[in-house]
Amino acid sequence: MKPFQIIVCLKQIPDPEGPLEAFQIDPEGKRVIPIGIPPVINPFDENALEAAIRLKEDYGAKVTAISMGEKLAQPVLRKALAAGADELILFVDSHFKDLDSFSTAYVLSKAIHKIGSYDLILTGRQAGDWDFGITGLLLAEMLQIPSINLARKIERRGDEIRVEKLIQDGYDLVKVKTPVLITVSSEIGELRYVSIRSLQSVSKKPVMIYGADDLNLDLQRLTTKKILDLSPFQSQRECKFIEGESHQQKGENLALKLREDRII
Amino acid sequence: MRPDDERILICIEREAERIHPISFELLKAGREVTDCLNGKLCCVLLGNSMGQFLKEMTPYADEVYLLDHHSLESFDPEVYTVALYHFFQSIHPSAILMGHTMNYQNIAAKLAYRLGTEIITDCIQLAIEERTGHLLCRKPIYGSKFIATFKQEKKPYIVTIRSKAWEPIPKPTSNAEVIHFTPLLDEIRFREDLLKRVKEESIDLSHAEAIVSAGRGVKDAEGFVRLKELIQILHRFFNRVELGASRPIVDAHLVPSSRQVGLTGEKVAPELYMAIGISGSMQHVTGILGAKKIVAINTNPRAPIFQVADYGVIGPYEEVLPGLVKKLEEL
Ligand SMILES: Cc1cc2nc3c(=O)[nH]c(=O)nc-3n(C[C@H](O)[C@H](O)[C@H](O)COP(=O)(O)OP(=O)(O)OC[C@H]3O[C@@H](n4cnc5c(N)ncnc54)[C@H](O)[C@@H]3O)c2cc1C
Ligand SMILES: Nc1ncnc2c1ncn2[C@@H]1O[C@H](COP(=O)(O)O)[C@@H](O)[C@H]1O
Repeated sequence: MKPFQIIVCLKQIPDPEGPLEAFQIDPEGKRVIPIGIPPVINPFDENALEAAIRLKEDYGAKVTAISMGEKLAQPVLRKALAAGADELILFVDSHFKDLDSFSTAYVLSKAIHKIGSYDLILTGRQAGDWDFGITGLLLAEMLQIPSINLARKIERRGDEIRVEKLIQDGYDLVKVKTPVLITVSSEIGELRYVSIRSLQSVSKKPVMIYGADDLNLDLQRLTTKKILDLSPFQSQRECKFIEGESHQQKGENLALKLREDRII
Repeated sequence: MRPDDERILICIEREAERIHPISFELLKAGREVTDCLNGKLCCVLLGNSMGQFLKEMTPYADEVYLLDHHSLESFDPEVYTVALYHFFQSIHPSAILMGHTMNYQNIAAKLAYRLGTEIITDCIQLAIEERTGHLLCRKPIYGSKFIATFKQEKKPYIVTIRSKAWEPIPKPTSNAEVIHFTPLLDEIRFREDLLKRVKEESIDLSHAEAIVSAGRGVKDAEGFVRLKELIQILHRFFNRVELGASRPIVDAHLVPSSRQVGLTGEKVAPELYMAIGISGSMQHVTGILGAKKIVAINTNPRAPIFQVADYGVIGPYEEVLPGLVKKLEEL
């Protein structure tokens, strides 16, 4: 029997947990450039990968991780293999620079056609660079399959998937038939720990790499983000530090200060 | 109805019992765009027997469209998308505004694709470019470390807006024409088969007057007891005091998702926000910028939270809070 096929979409981004100073605007004013911080797999995509690997452990599956970009760092993305993905396929081309969400979803849809069959596609709820939160949903539209947004838990019963999806004040348990695309939120759980050793053990594993030419793309359809300008966040506040002989006393002085300033 | 009117369409978000507050912020944002385009501010309500909601909305807009159907009783992303798609296809709005909420960020994306147009999510400012009539959208990016201005050139422009980025629209002035529109629902490809709805606490952080938020620095159950003591005493000074949290606390299932503050959580605007053991990453901070006063308690003097706080205490919360609570009791 053909294994249950899961495709996980991983975006490589500058570490979103990096300090404010590590992000700068490029001279053209259209891009953010990271200074001295490494690229990572988008954290929500790591959550999606974790969900895929758990499904594989619990019910059996083949997990294919894919990533698309102008340039991709193999050592960063190989983490997916070390964590338990069966294969990693990269789609790299200079045409993939600065793509908008529609074009990104379009290229991913062609990439998925190239892979062929699938039962489940997982994406992160949002990429921590541009914070759009729509690529997965657009991809499902293009593939003409249903999508479920914001999963906090995913289980499988045969060709039926049960998803707990976030709603305003709780969650809905819904059931869907495959194929389906699900966007994953962090509540599902962090990606398991990946040791240096297991990273080394996959360093020789083959990674497939394709370019735009391999995808039967209409290059005319690729459009870039239309950005006029970027400006940095600036805090308007000035912090008054509360002093005291002891921490306890600092606490007391905080109460007094809040009273003095008529906040309480 | 003149077909050549520029219509700015607001998707009113409805909960079971009430209109979701973001709807009034959408109306404010929509009014600004409408004035620039010299158009009509319209809103659309979806549901089943919505008489009461209809009355509430007519004073705010020029036209209110009603999509009344038993299938629209409760929210289903595909059903709502199909209903709205047919509606938009027949009235050709110039712009469509929705809230950046769990429900509508989903259908906004689907609609943008089906209508063959563009979309910018989570906007905090909108303007019309005078020369071209294009829509300019300001949106925080990179966890809100920057704000980008995007341009949309294709109509209908579609945006989702961040909650609290606009004030709610002030009291009504107009009296909308009500237009009934029969939803076409035969193209529904798939429905979410709901097995169970689990309601956790129903919390409205966005309207709390004071919020005490726990971060990863709050390590144990005892820590939460301390925070609850503080919340208890703050009730003397504020009407609505709530517990909030940073994302790691939610991901550890210590509190429900609806208490998460930040980029992918609630945007809050209390009189007083207290960040306890929260480092102050921009993804968290962007949710609290509307707070009148921010207090941070953190052991690390270089924690970025102090760059956005009004009052800072450097020290372990385990020792700071007892002093604070004791003094508050005496005041
Ligand atoms: C796309 C994206 C979206 C995100 N959305 C959100 C969001 O909506 N909300 C959110 O919160 N995060 C969000 N995050 C995560 C965010 O980037 C941070 O990782 C998170 O906010 C860190 O939480 P924290 O400050 O509690 O933990 P940490 O960064 O680990 O900070 C813990 C702090 O506690 C202090 N501390 C330790 N012990 C004590 C003590 N005894 N007393 C006092 N202080 C102590 C430490 O000095 C430290 O500063 C998002 C991230 C991404 C990439
Ligand atoms: N270049 C990419 N390669 C692979 N997956 C991507 C890419 N861009 C976006 N995605 C997926 O789409 C999700 C949402 O991205 P976004 O709409 O940019 O916030 C991400 O969490 C990824 O899972």
